[in-house]
Amino acid sequence: MPMGHTAIPQDTAGALTATEHRLANGLRVVLSEDHLTPVAAVCLWYDVGSRHEVQGRTGLAHLFEHLMFQGSAQVKGNGHFELIQGAGGSLNGTTSFERTNYFETMPAHQLELALWLEADRMGTLLTALDDESMENQRDVVKNERRQRYDNVPYGTAFERLTAMVYPAGHPYHHTPIGSMADLDAASLEDAREFFRTYYAPNNAVLAVVGDIDPEQVLAWADKYFGSIPSHDGKRPPRDGTLPLTIGEELREVIREDVPARALMAAYRLPHDGTREADAADLALTALGGGESSRLHNRLVRRDRTAVSAGFGLLRLAGAPSMGWLDVKTSGDAEVADIERALDEELARFAEEGPTPEEMERAQAQLEREWLDRLATVGGRADELCRYAVLFGDPTLAFTAVRRVLEVTAEEVRAVAAAQLRPDNRAVLVYEPTGPAEGAEETTESTDSETEGADQ
Amino acid sequence: MTDADTMRLHPRPAGGEPRPWAFPAPERGGLPNGLTVLRSHRPGQRVIAVELNLTAPLETEPQGQEGVATIMARALNEGTDKHSAEEFAAELERCGATLDAHADHAGLRVSLEVPASRLTKALGLLADALRAPAFAESEIERLVRNRLDEIPHELADPGRRAAMALYAALFPAESRMSRPRSGTAETVGRIDAKAVRAFYDAHIGPAAAPAVVVGDLPGIDLDAALKETLGTWTGSAAEPPVWSPADVNDTPRVIVVDRPGAVQTQLLIGRTGGDRHDPLYPARRLGIYCLGGTITSRLDRVLREEKGYTYGIRAFSQVLRSSADGTGLALLGIRGSVATDVTGPALADLWQVLRTLAAEGLTDEERDAAVQYLVGVAPLSFETAAAVAGTLANQVEEELPDDFQARLYARLAETGTVEASAAVVRALPADGLVTVLVGDAEKIAGPVRDLGIGEVTVVAG
Repeated sequence: MPMGHTAIPQDTAGALTATEHRLANGLRVVLSEDHLTPVAAVCLWYDVGSRHEVQGRTGLAHLFEHLMFQGSAQVKGNGHFELIQGAGGSLNGTTSFERTNYFETMPAHQLELALWLEADRMGTLLTALDDESMENQRDVVKNERRQRYDNVPYGTAFERLTAMVYPAGHPYHHTPIGSMADLDAASLEDAREFFRTYYAPNNAVLAVVGDIDPEQVLAWADKYFGSIPSHDGKRPPRDGTLPLTIGEELREVIREDVPARALMAAYRLPHDGTREADAADLALTALGGGESSRLHNRLVRRDRTAVSAGFGLLRLAGAPSMGWLDVKTSGDAEVADIERALDEELARFAEEGPTPEEMERAQAQLEREWLDRLATVGGRADELCRYAVLFGDPTLAFTAVRRVLEVTAEEVRAVAAAQLRPDNRAVLVYEPTGPAEGAEETTESTDSETEGADQ
Repeated sequence: MTDADTMRLHPRPAGGEPRPWAFPAPERGGLPNGLTVLRSHRPGQRVIAVELNLTAPLETEPQGQEGVATIMARALNEGTDKHSAEEFAAELERCGATLDAHADHAGLRVSLEVPASRLTKALGLLADALRAPAFAESEIERLVRNRLDEIPHELADPGRRAAMALYAALFPAESRMSRPRSGTAETVGRIDAKAVRAFYDAHIGPAAAPAVVVGDLPGIDLDAALKETLGTWTGSAAEPPVWSPADVNDTPRVIVVDRPGAVQTQLLIGRTGGDRHDPLYPARRLGIYCLGGTITSRLDRVLREEKGYTYGIRAFSQVLRSSADGTGLALLGIRGSVATDVTGPALADLWQVLRTLAAEGLTDEERDAAVQYLVGVAPLSFETAAAVAGTLANQVEEELPDDFQARLYARLAETGTVEASAAVVRALPADGLVTVLVGDAEKIAGPVRDLGIGEVTVVAG
């Protein structure tokens, strides 16, 4: 096992443990103690995301997430925000392809309040949901879309790549933000129906992490969530089965008022939760993660055709994952030259695989990412939910690093050879026109006093 | 039948007894080479954060070479007397470390984060970068080209473009603050390896570089690690120039940066105020939070939650320069974006919020909620080593006492509604703000002229 050269896995997970419980109504509760700081995180994952949306109603899961902050039977208007923040807590919600999560981090002595609030909206949202909040949050979400995608150079690239990698009709063909037309079309009855279908205790996992007394928390969970009736009306998402490769190269050229040419590409990769997905993560890191990666060295340092060149990985469990390449050109560099260099580097990697030094670096970088994710109680609660919802066992979160460190160079080579090929990619080229033309959504834009305005 | 009929409702729980928490007091020490070290043990934080303040403010850049501090900061990562640029990046990533350097008005900040098990190795790389950076001609050339390539991306970004226009409006042309931190195409184009070396020789040395180290420390022989790494760095740096406050022009006016076809208008509204030595700083922090700190603050309550004009509007204060005598400067502002077709009504509402605040002040409930949040959230905000290190390094950079953050919570709790109201009204007065709008001038300039918030000038995007 090639682990001697990296920090021992205990360094990541430390002595972290978690226990799993199930209430009579099906709500799964995951608890993990850590008494080093007087804080506690609550995280609630609902097993519903944009992949559950139907045609004509894209963006509904995310719009609905906003509505969850508009009050419930015992919580008025913006009361959820007011009460959590008034207790010194922080909170938000996000929607992705495969899940919707809601989370609060609290001073430990205020934990019970967060549980009460989450239970109140899980059990009684519909008593408060009305046209006024629907119309208001529809406008807010449309402005979120404008701010984050439509009014930003290259802002719709991810949406376009996704639509190519997952064909029309596929549940992952559209991204969680949805289209303006569908956001306009969503009705209050759609929102109600969405809640009745997906927001049930037996379709959720609750994780509580931090300075907690597990018996007390379990008693609170039972007290507040225990009487919410379970409900089995959930429709499974449409079938996400796809071949592991696209089978041909897809290509789109966008002529827009962007500041520079760009080459972007997306590849289908193995499903999250498999050893091959970890191998793919290592391949993308060695090729395009950080400043010592092959693509950075080739395109930015040596050829000097690019300002930046990197790979990202969107891990997905219900469909092939997606690897995403983003190269912004330098000066007058031509996209064709960059593509040629890219193909050479990918072919060489598929042939030779990573060097031992590259494996060591890629594993150290991914280990560091895990250390960062597990450094806060909120990060830990989210990972516990993720492994519980998508893979059935929350404690897999604590062994994730070990699995990455067990992958061999040959496995990394093999996944690159199988997936990072021209016939498995969607290419998006941006050509600037000059002026005259025209992965995850959150509830709140975040506050930070020091985040000001930099030129 | 509603769901409420079937769920058993319980009254809202009261909180338990708060468990004690205090912002950590750093331990101060020094190395024989003159380097000051502040350290703080945070149990369980296995990624160690190291921050260094290099006291080389942007105003020390030679005229005509603005951007040289930024290029030098980036070049610290690009090779030393022991490693080529590629090797250096590889060695850092082999440690799972990240090393960033950023040049700003107050000085240069170098941040290292690394898993505890590889701290000594990474500190060695950091020391090499500071002690013997290569500044190879070809690497500097590449960094200059990269920086030139970045500029069009920054100009295209509505938030960055708005900031450029606001700084240029607030500060006189001779002030460094009026121009982009990382230089313009004209000045960056003049930078070469010689210029970078000269800037380094003049301004970078251990005596002018207090360091902060935070994380789970007891298992580490930090003294030995520092001695064999940063302790080997020698050299001297010039005293930074004495900061003198700039003349600021915050005559109310509106600058529209034209973006034909933009679907939103980016707002940046601001003026300047004092640094955090001001005895009224806690009141300003509290008041600004009540105005625009969160979704339930005054601005979002109207502009987002009532009208749906925006995804979020925030009020902020950002220290630009700070000195122990309190003559420093902060940018005070309001930022966000609103849909193009409601830009006029959104600004009208925004000004109405400011005027109502000035006329009626904050309520006790708002003040109480803000104190409860700002004080209560402290243990959450400082969970990671990096968060603690960043705050300690800010204190050092701003010439604030080491217990500033620790004492801030008590000072916030002692601040009353009247003081907080007065402070925010003074910080962001309705009749004393410069407004920058990045958006479609044809659609927004007319409605904005009608608001009477200042003379409107349209400039090309």
